[in-house]
Amino acid sequence: MKALAFQLILLASLAAASLVRAQAPPQIPPSQFNQLMVPQPAVDTTAPITASATFDSPAIRVGDKTFYRVDVTFTESAIQWPKRLPVPAGTKMVEVARGELAQELPGSFHALTEFVYDVTATAPGQLTIPAFNIDVAGATVQVPAATLDTLPQGSAPPANEQPPRRLALQITETNVYLGQPFRVRIISPISPGNPIEAIRDVQFNGDGLMMDKAAGQQSVGPVNLNGQLVTAYICEYVVTPIAAGPLKFNAQGFTAGNQFGGLVIIHGQVTMPGGPTRFKLLVSDPVQINVRPLPADAELPGFTGALGRFFSDPPRLSTNRVHVGQPIELKTTFHGQGDLVRMAPPAVPRSRDWEIIAAPPPAITFTLIPLTDEVHETPAIPFCYFDPGLGKYVDLTIPSLPVTVIGEGLPAEIPGYDDDAKSIAPLKLSSLAMLPGVRVDSLVPPQMRATSIVFLMLPVGGFLALWRWDRRRRYLEAHPDLVRRAQARHALRREKQRLQHAIAANDIAAFVHHAARAMSIAVAPHFPADPRALVGSDVLAQLDDRTEPSAAAETVKHVFAAADAQFAGTKVELPDLAALRLGVDAVLQQLEAKL
Amino acid sequence: MTGLPRQLVLLAAFLLGMTAGRAATNDDFENGIALSMSGQFPEAATAFGNAAKPHPSSGTLVDLGLAEWQSGHAGAAILAWEQARWINPYDLRAAANLDFARQVAQVEAPELKWYEAVSTILPPATWMWLTALTLWAILGLMILPGVLRRRRTGWHQWLAALAFGIFLFSLTADFGVTSRSNIGFIVRKNTQLRLTPTSEADSVSTLASGESARRLRTRGNFVFIRTPAASGWVAQDEFQTICPP
Repeated sequence: MKALAFQLILLASLAAASLVRAQAPPQIPPSQFNQLMVPQPAVDTTAPITASATFDSPAIRVGDKTFYRVDVTFTESAIQWPKRLPVPAGTKMVEVARGELAQELPGSFHALTEFVYDVTATAPGQLTIPAFNIDVAGATVQVPAATLDTLPQGSAPPANEQPPRRLALQITETNVYLGQPFRVRIISPISPGNPIEAIRDVQFNGDGLMMDKAAGQQSVGPVNLNGQLVTAYICEYVVTPIAAGPLKFNAQGFTAGNQFGGLVIIHGQVTMPGGPTRFKLLVSDPVQINVRPLPADAELPGFTGALGRFFSDPPRLSTNRVHVGQPIELKTTFHGQGDLVRMAPPAVPRSRDWEIIAAPPPAITFTLIPLTDEVHETPAIPFCYFDPGLGKYVDLTIPSLPVTVIGEGLPAEIPGYDDDAKSIAPLKLSSLAMLPGVRVDSLVPPQMRATSIVFLMLPVGGFLALWRWDRRRRYLEAHPDLVRRAQARHALRREKQRLQHAIAANDIAAFVHHAARAMSIAVAPHFPADPRALVGSDVLAQLDDRTEPSAAAETVKHVFAAADAQFAGTKVELPDLAALRLGVDAVLQQLEAKL
Repeated sequence: MTGLPRQLVLLAAFLLGMTAGRAATNDDFENGIALSMSGQFPEAATAFGNAAKPHPSSGTLVDLGLAEWQSGHAGAAILAWEQARWINPYDLRAAANLDFARQVAQVEAPELKWYEAVSTILPPATWMWLTALTLWAILGLMILPGVLRRRRTGWHQWLAALAFGIFLFSLTADFGVTSRSNIGFIVRKNTQLRLTPTSEADSVSTLASGESARRLRTRGNFVFIRTPAASGWVAQDEFQTICPP
């Protein structure tokens, strides 16, 4: 039970590790290590040089294509290959690939170079490429003639017709950024006539690409090709564009029989070919990708070309207490999706207070040496990566970490001397203060704080207000008529409100009473007298138009007559309220203007 | 719950909160004392700095200066002791330590103008209170007798004249306090006095840690200062005034 649990934990750890990769050195298969340690045989250049020429198909119909191949048993660099082949007029023939490999024979390597041309049949009959001579390492070698039967268009297919073998090329991205690695799958489908074969010496034809051969993977298994599920030999590579713009490229590689170099993952049942290996250069159709340059205007500090999606562990210091000049180590680790193997570590920033030494890649380790004791934190090390998914730069700066740097202490005591250079008691620092002492809220003085100025001026304002009030009081004491008039205006306002209430209640008796009182109040300050002591003639004396009979005088008489009658309790016919109201308003307006 | 018990609970909570705040400050101070006694001066300086940040006090700043001095930071130590004297001009520890530090570091005390020298007699807040009280006294003595319908007597006028004299004196001291707030100290060793406010500027001279200067203006991360010998720009983290802005 325990063993099962352990296996489950181990499996989960491996799965997690495969999902999120940390930065690690390039993984080289053990077979390649072994190959490096075994003495390799020399390339045999003494064997006779031979050349052969063949068409992939013996017969094709007009309009169909096949490959014309020339094999030369020598290295490509020593072959003077003609720019134009002696082909009959009207023949459409285009060179699509050339490649070389080293065949391992007992005790030596033999070079093999193959030239591949794409031939299209244009007319029925027989197409013959005549024999021609080439110069190989100073010797003349004859390439033999080769013949291809071309059948009319629409004729029956030739017996045992096999379409020319091609590689298929699948790419994960068609729009990439400059420097963004992407995966390329080279697929060699298995057909009934073609058993499973390894592909070796793979290369991409096209400018602006960089292939990572160390990161290649081989597998055999089902793959979707043009909508059909076929079994194929697949090799995957990581390719990095190093030039911007549209890039067109194809792949080529030699069939290598059962010579699988390295680990191959096989899904399902497959049959391995036996017998001698027949090397044949296969090519794929070209594919095009669009490579966009990285946005230069939004680049963040510390960009070293990292593309992908990364995150980092919190940085760790070997110690956070250090003396001046003593090195400490700052470590961090980056994880994520992207080319961690080739990710350039953050560049070392310049600092006046620190000497910073970066460890050689791929480790993200810095040796920090404090040059002064006045620093309290390590320097931030700027770093960022470009996220192709987001299309922007993402900051991944290694942050500052608090650190205590201990410097050389200063003397706490020095010898003292008097004016005659005689030794006296030494000068020394005081002891510690054991109590916090006098405390303030802020070191900023109250003289520079607005609140303090406001606080200072508040009583000043109070005193000034008091002084002004006293002056006013004294003035009013010297001018009592002003007080009477003000009091009369105030009382008049109240009486006018009562008049309005009487009008609203249609109470002619109350109206007459308040009208008489209002008039008395309005004229009282002119005498001066108590309003209750005044009669109608006193009001008439204050009117501008005293000639009788005037409308104002009549109104005053009517009002006072009615008021007096009410006061005396005698029966009197009260005037019409509507008619009287206008007259009272006019009189009061006239009297109020004189107040 | 009735009104009175609720008020008592609120009062208790308020007092508890106040006590907790004071305890936190005292914790830093006591922690700094303990660290200083065990010889961990950089950590002690941090603790005293934390204690002094919310409520600066003369004793804390004296101890901060001692911890900074023992850590080798002469400029920061002199600044702390000057701040202690800013709060309490009668702090003898700070005064003695300043004399000692300047003798060891071979730096001069800032040259004070007469009104600045006057302002060092009392703490800044005391001068402010003196200004306020004398101003209020002058106004009160001038206004209140009239308002209260009392006859102005001789002692009223004598007291007003005395208050006016003290007011003018304290006003001068207030100006001195404001002027002294621009005095600062170099807190980093070998600070370059620059010709222009840029990192790549030519150096006018090199200033020692603890040297005094006056802040004249600020531009970006640089401060234009005037030392007794020269004027120029220094980075803001190289120079600190007694009362930080």
